[in-house]
Amino acid sequence: MQRWNLYSQGDKFFAIVVSILIGMFTVATLYPFIYIAAVSFSSGFAAQAGKVVLTPIDATLEAYGYIISDPKFWISYRNTFIYTIGGTIMSLLFIIPGAYALSRPQLKGRRFFNLFIAFTMWFNAGLIPFFLNMRDLNLLDSMFGIILAFAVNAFNIILLRNFFEAIPQSFEEAARMDGANDFQVLWKVFVPLSKPAIATITLFCIVSRWNGFFWAMVLLQSEDKIPLQVFLRHTIATLSDDDEFAIVQTAAGFSAETVTAAIIVCSIIPVLIVYPFIQKYFEKGILLGGVKE
Amino acid sequence: MSGVNLSGIVKAYGALQVVHGIDLDVQEKEFVVLVGPSGCGKSTTLRMIAGLEEITSGDLIIDGRRINRVAPKDRDVAMVFQNYALYPHLNVADNMAFGLRIRRMPKAEIKTTIDDVAEILGLTPYLDRRPADLSGGQRQRVAMGRAIVRHPKVFLFDEPLSNLDAKLRTQMRAEIKRLHNRLGVTSIYVTHDQVEAMTLADRIVVMNDGNIEQVGTPMELFNNPANTFVASFLGSPPMNQMKGTMTATGATVGDAEILIDGASAANAGRDVIVGIRPEHVTLTAQGPSSALPISLDLVEPLGSEALLHARHGDNAMVFKADTNGDISHLSGVGEVHVPSHLVKLFDAETGQALTLGA
Amino acid sequence: MAKDTPITAKSDSTGDDGRLVRLYDHFRREWQIYLMLLPTIIWFIVFLYKPMYGLQIAFKDYSIFKGVANSPWVGWEHFQTLFSNDSFIRAVKNTITISFYNLLFGFPAPIILALMFNEILHASYKRTAQTIVYLPHFISSVIIAGIVITAFSPTVGVINAVMGWFGLDSIYFLTQPDWFRPIFVGTGIWQEAGFGSIVFLAAIAGVNPSLYESAVVDGANRWQMMWKITIPSILPTILIMLIIRIGNVMEVSFELVILLYQPATYETADVVNTWVYRQGLQSGQYDLAAAAGLFNAFVAFVLVMTANTLSRRYSRTSLW
Repeated sequence: MQRWNLYSQGDKFFAIVVSILIGMFTVATLYPFIYIAAVSFSSGFAAQAGKVVLTPIDATLEAYGYIISDPKFWISYRNTFIYTIGGTIMSLLFIIPGAYALSRPQLKGRRFFNLFIAFTMWFNAGLIPFFLNMRDLNLLDSMFGIILAFAVNAFNIILLRNFFEAIPQSFEEAARMDGANDFQVLWKVFVPLSKPAIATITLFCIVSRWNGFFWAMVLLQSEDKIPLQVFLRHTIATLSDDDEFAIVQTAAGFSAETVTAAIIVCSIIPVLIVYPFIQKYFEKGILLGGVKE
Repeated sequence: MSGVNLSGIVKAYGALQVVHGIDLDVQEKEFVVLVGPSGCGKSTTLRMIAGLEEITSGDLIIDGRRINRVAPKDRDVAMVFQNYALYPHLNVADNMAFGLRIRRMPKAEIKTTIDDVAEILGLTPYLDRRPADLSGGQRQRVAMGRAIVRHPKVFLFDEPLSNLDAKLRTQMRAEIKRLHNRLGVTSIYVTHDQVEAMTLADRIVVMNDGNIEQVGTPMELFNNPANTFVASFLGSPPMNQMKGTMTATGATVGDAEILIDGASAANAGRDVIVGIRPEHVTLTAQGPSSALPISLDLVEPLGSEALLHARHGDNAMVFKADTNGDISHLSGVGEVHVPSHLVKLFDAETGQALTLGA
Repeated sequence: MAKDTPITAKSDSTGDDGRLVRLYDHFRREWQIYLMLLPTIIWFIVFLYKPMYGLQIAFKDYSIFKGVANSPWVGWEHFQTLFSNDSFIRAVKNTITISFYNLLFGFPAPIILALMFNEILHASYKRTAQTIVYLPHFISSVIIAGIVITAFSPTVGVINAVMGWFGLDSIYFLTQPDWFRPIFVGTGIWQEAGFGSIVFLAAIAGVNPSLYESAVVDGANRWQMMWKITIPSILPTILIMLIIRIGNVMEVSFELVILLYQPATYETADVVNTWVYRQGLQSGQYDLAAAAGLFNAFVAFVLVMTANTLSRRYSRTSLW
């Protein structure tokens, strides 16, 4: 490194101290994941004795054995995939055309529509009216309701609109003179030109769907519709108080805690797999939607 | 008959009018250049012809058909954009084929069209490349190719050379001219560069502040500018303009009198602007001319000729003189000779050209 | 293509198209963008604006059977009830207190992190560290809560295990009101500090490099450059982010609160939205809960608008 050789003694010392501090913060960030993985692979006995700190104690796959034999785990896992894929597609179907329309200077009432959408970022009716509205719409306990009701948000539309607005006008004009209509301009020119922004939004949608918990918990009653996060929540809340479970677990090598940890690990793994692919996008993405009119 | 006819074309954004009712007749196969300073309305006019801006009022007629309200795609015009607007995700062939595919031309036909045009433009080896992998001149050619493949009635050019460096610009300028000679398609070309206008145009339209100042062939405009604006816009360096007063034989400028053909006692005493082209003066008297004493500020050698920056009284002026390979003889110049038949006169107030003897 | 010429005799002969004609032309030409916008607008009306209409139950004696429109008006009664309700007042205070701690400890963390990242020369070390510290942002609050509950558990938890090494008695942290806020705020920093640093890193990347070069020539060291160049240069970003944070004071991440609190810790943990959740969705007092939600939304709106106005002064464009 060229710059390093030009550093004074003091600067080198400073850089080393900072590197160590960053290293410590990084380890601190990573540690809870390692810890939870260690718990998930430990025996219930070791876990409950508080012995697990860094590595599995009395390593076992019993906790995983328990959850994969639970059909509710698989149903909720499947549901999460449905919500994530269906919800993301639904979001893009609304957001891409909507953002395109809002980005067009020729749209009459453009200021009004932009304000109409941005206003929802500043003022929100709150939990109760939203819930009652969902009930009025007959969307309680409905998988489609979950997919539709959280398809759009102002932030994602504005983010993509900003990106579309930054595309030189001549691209649209050239396509128009070539005979393209708006759908063709959008699909053949704007979408290919906006891959980074669309990837960012897709990523935001996937993450929020994968992690979505509160409204799924409130709106869904049927056990065969709940997503993984709600299943995990139920597990955490109920397993430790469940007498029947307490009897089973003493016989087997797991406990409420190791089972919880195992579900957590199963739920994080898909995120970890996708994460490296998405990382290059979100750094740019959050800046796109950020401080810009 | 692929002429373009504009009559009374107005463009207003709300209360702000930017094009004030212009009339223009472009003949079939003609190459017309709209030139003027930025903000003069030339690009807006071109974009109205393209259908990218709505026409506030007036008539736009192509081929005898009023097309004010026709969508751009149905006007049968093609446009070359300043930034080329080449789709970065498509290769050269796909860029050129874009419009043809949208129009559902059969695949085989698209291929032959693209191949033909690529051949004309020398793009055949680059058909598989993306725009990012092309040089500026090649991108420019692709942009033209995209317009040509459609066989439109009219080509529109919006400052197509302004993104190129000076050398490439000269080269592409000649190429556009050759292409026009070959294809013979009516072309309307917008630029702010008067050299481009002079070299390319069959006819030049000089615009200023949303109005047409003058329309004519390059030489007409050069020789007989209709007003001081055109006089100072075309020609490099621009025409020298000096305040003066008419006399029976010419006009006084400062304390010198310049003889002008056609001057008579009838005009004497009138305030005028006297226009002298830098290249029209000579260092020695040749034919009927008058001497203008000057004090020389600066000599700028350009090679075969040199620019003399000089003053006469309050008037700063620039003249061109041949160097004949040496500028040493220019440093002592104390007067220039102005041929009496080449002096232009403009009204001091309106700036409109005056013709004498009428 | 002559068939595309519109047949409108009058306007075409006069040469001056009237306003209506041009409006007609506009929609005939541009109808597709309106079609594209339509689903989004309908969605916003159905899912975000219709609930705003439903907010009127905050002023009504809401009955499920009568519905929003037909329930009788009661004026400000619910608000009077709210402000004489100790648990609601407590929730408002808790919201503000937790936000204040979030601001005090959570706001500087990403700035410090960004400044530190900026000092690291080793590119791949920096890259790896960034990748890791951004990660928790993408983890759901249920998982975060699961990890926290496990780690702080009196029997299983690693925290108590480590405390045991030093001879300290084990503590059931999540039942102690005094411990809720430190755990909650700390979890927030752990989850968001890394991701929050992206904005500041971008601001730092935008600083003109010649400023540093001239500082090097002037003999400044890295520490001085950080204080004299980097921090002043990113001050506008810091200010804007601070204003946004202040604007969002009412927005405590209540999902995580719901997952971490329990009746024993309500006195320090219960925030307005969790209160609304319990009163409304769990106890069915929709009108009272809606009134509390409206109060929250109104205060948040005023704060956000004030923040936006302030930020306009510090940056040329507004935040949104």
